[in-house]
Amino acid sequence: MTRQRSTVLGVELALFAAAVGVLAILPHWLSDFRASEVAYVGVYFIAIIGLNILTGYTGQISLGHGAFMAIGGYTTAILVGHHSMRDLWTIPLAGLVAGAAGLLFGVPALRLSGLYLALATFAIAVSLPAVLKKFDHFTGGTQGIQLFGRPNYTGKGYQNVHVLGQTLTFNNWLYYLTWTIAAVLFLVAWALLGGRAGRTFRAIRDSEIAATSSGVNLPMYKTLAFGISAFYAGVAGSLFALATTFVNPDTFPIVLSLYLLIGAVVSGLGSLWGIALGALFIQYLPFLSSKYISKAPGAPSVAYGVILVLVVVLLPLGAAGLLKRIGVPLTNRLFKRS
Amino acid sequence: MVTLRSPLLLAALLALALPLCVQASSAADPGVTSTSILIGGTVPLSGEAASGGLTAKGAAGYFAYVNAHGGVFKRKINYKYVDDEYDPSKTIQATRQLVQQDHVFAIFNPLGTAQNIAIRPYLNSLGVPQVFVASGWGGWARQYKQYPDTLGFIPTYTGEGIIYGRYIKQKTPKAKIAILYQDDDYGRELVSGLKKGLGSKARQIVSQQSYDPTATDVQSQIARLKASGANTLMIFAFGKFAIQSFVFVKKLGWKPQIFVNAVAAATSVMLLAKTSGQTEGTISIVFFKDPSDPKWAKDPGMKLYKMIMSKYVHADYKNGYYGAGMASAFAMVAALKKAGKNLTRKGLLRAVTHLDIRNNPFALPGIRIKTSPTDRYPIEQAQLQRWHGSRWYSFGKLVSAPRG
Repeated sequence: MTRQRSTVLGVELALFAAAVGVLAILPHWLSDFRASEVAYVGVYFIAIIGLNILTGYTGQISLGHGAFMAIGGYTTAILVGHHSMRDLWTIPLAGLVAGAAGLLFGVPALRLSGLYLALATFAIAVSLPAVLKKFDHFTGGTQGIQLFGRPNYTGKGYQNVHVLGQTLTFNNWLYYLTWTIAAVLFLVAWALLGGRAGRTFRAIRDSEIAATSSGVNLPMYKTLAFGISAFYAGVAGSLFALATTFVNPDTFPIVLSLYLLIGAVVSGLGSLWGIALGALFIQYLPFLSSKYISKAPGAPSVAYGVILVLVVVLLPLGAAGLLKRIGVPLTNRLFKRS
Repeated sequence: MVTLRSPLLLAALLALALPLCVQASSAADPGVTSTSILIGGTVPLSGEAASGGLTAKGAAGYFAYVNAHGGVFKRKINYKYVDDEYDPSKTIQATRQLVQQDHVFAIFNPLGTAQNIAIRPYLNSLGVPQVFVASGWGGWARQYKQYPDTLGFIPTYTGEGIIYGRYIKQKTPKAKIAILYQDDDYGRELVSGLKKGLGSKARQIVSQQSYDPTATDVQSQIARLKASGANTLMIFAFGKFAIQSFVFVKKLGWKPQIFVNAVAAATSVMLLAKTSGQTEGTISIVFFKDPSDPKWAKDPGMKLYKMIMSKYVHADYKNGYYGAGMASAFAMVAALKKAGKNLTRKGLLRAVTHLDIRNNPFALPGIRIKTSPTDRYPIEQAQLQRWHGSRWYSFGKLVSAPRG
């Protein structure tokens, strides 16, 4: 049993290393603009990891993760745009502020479950734009906050960036920044979910009563899941703001929250291995469905819906389920032969 | 128990920091070849303000007509307009795509005030012309020193507000005024212009209500404005919100003298509003020829417009937004001609800041499109018009739209 598990771990690590290798050299084949698009994929990747921790592993549905992204994005925008803080330092801060908001929201969320929790989280996503507009001296209201050209904003939105002895275009800089952080956060999530916390989260998801009777501190872990998840969303929001060079209440629309949940479902809830596909889905499907299927009003949305339904019907466990279906027989064979 | 193997991890992380060569971006005036000029811009093609996107279709029609007649210095003008859903953060992404991916020569006719404010620093730092911005915000002209690559087109909202203010002061000095405005620089500038025009009568503004461009409707605002007891209503709103205003006014049985700002007053919009709204007697201003006004039936400019509409745009010619787009495209072609054979971004900027166009076939006769490097107000004249039945009737002379 231990031997098999270590084989699985080895395969997973090899997969991870291969992914990192591909990501490291990918910009060679991408145009500058495509690199910025793939940077957005990295942003969604991070947000979906966070949402998966909450929804996939702990079983708490959130329809409001766009709001935590907004909190992170605004933290960065206010610090860089209004207080000229070094942009890189605001990324962890954005995560912490959003994480704190997540912890705070996690407390009342304890009383809700299933559909009611989904609705409550949806309410944050719906109400946040109004809150952002209300405090316009702080958030810039509908005009938003412009980061472009700010003194401590790396690359200022268009200049080449010198890092580690290399000169990168602004978009390639965004690409490496986003995916480096994504890789680190992926490892953190992997370590976390593979250990005691992950087991506890899964126990809560599968049966709260059984988990409690096994001595799990239910309120603590459920709140913690919210906090960690919101931290990820906050970091993603911060990177989103840096990549967009601008935030306003429309930057984080309500549909973003829905897209994130869709991304998590497509990725495969309760697994980290399909997330890249979920992130690609969010970034490219709306665009592709309007480009290749139909430009008629409403048609892209219908196409999007049909593709989504097909994905859910054909791959109920998402991309991760598909990977498992292909991957598990392979690893078994590997194990038997070795 | 899962343990992480640190050497492998380290290797993986290091891989991310691998030395990477990057293609240098050399971009000396992209978008121009010996046979083509690529320009681009964002407009809302979907969402609340989608009617504004028709300006791009009208402009594209005019460019197609010019291309069919030899183009500009044998270069065909390709105009790539993309949807931004009237959402500034999408405007930024789409504009970056136009500049970095499509390598457009210039951004032309981008629509919306907040949208253009959002992309202005980006375009100016790269020296990409942002010309004939489809917004009457005065900042395009006022802040030209900081943003020299940006130029508006239509009369400013301040000027428009002043025209309404002066008209009210003169015709109905006892009016009790209620204002509905979009809560951004566009709506606020109309309000401040109105107050300037009213002067001492600004005290007669009894209620002001704003809406957010992402709101669903303006019913409660209209109800509150009615409750203020006003007899004059200013609709400084765009797209569906303008239409809703007329509808809710009628629903509430309110009969104020309505004023609606020009960018929301296209005949097509008014006809839509009329079906279940209170539109009779509404006042607005106009600076382009209204295709549904029969007085232009024999006008050569209108004939050209209708020909382009049927041959290149294939849409109902009665919608005034197409004509606004063509007026803008006409000015663009004039500027490209003026910029000369050796087309550069600097040359285009020189051309658009030395315009003097008196024969724009799509603008009202007598309108002079004039700019200088320190005078960035292309159109500064307009005429008042009143809605009666199912069309606008212009009245009075061409008036100048004050800068405030």
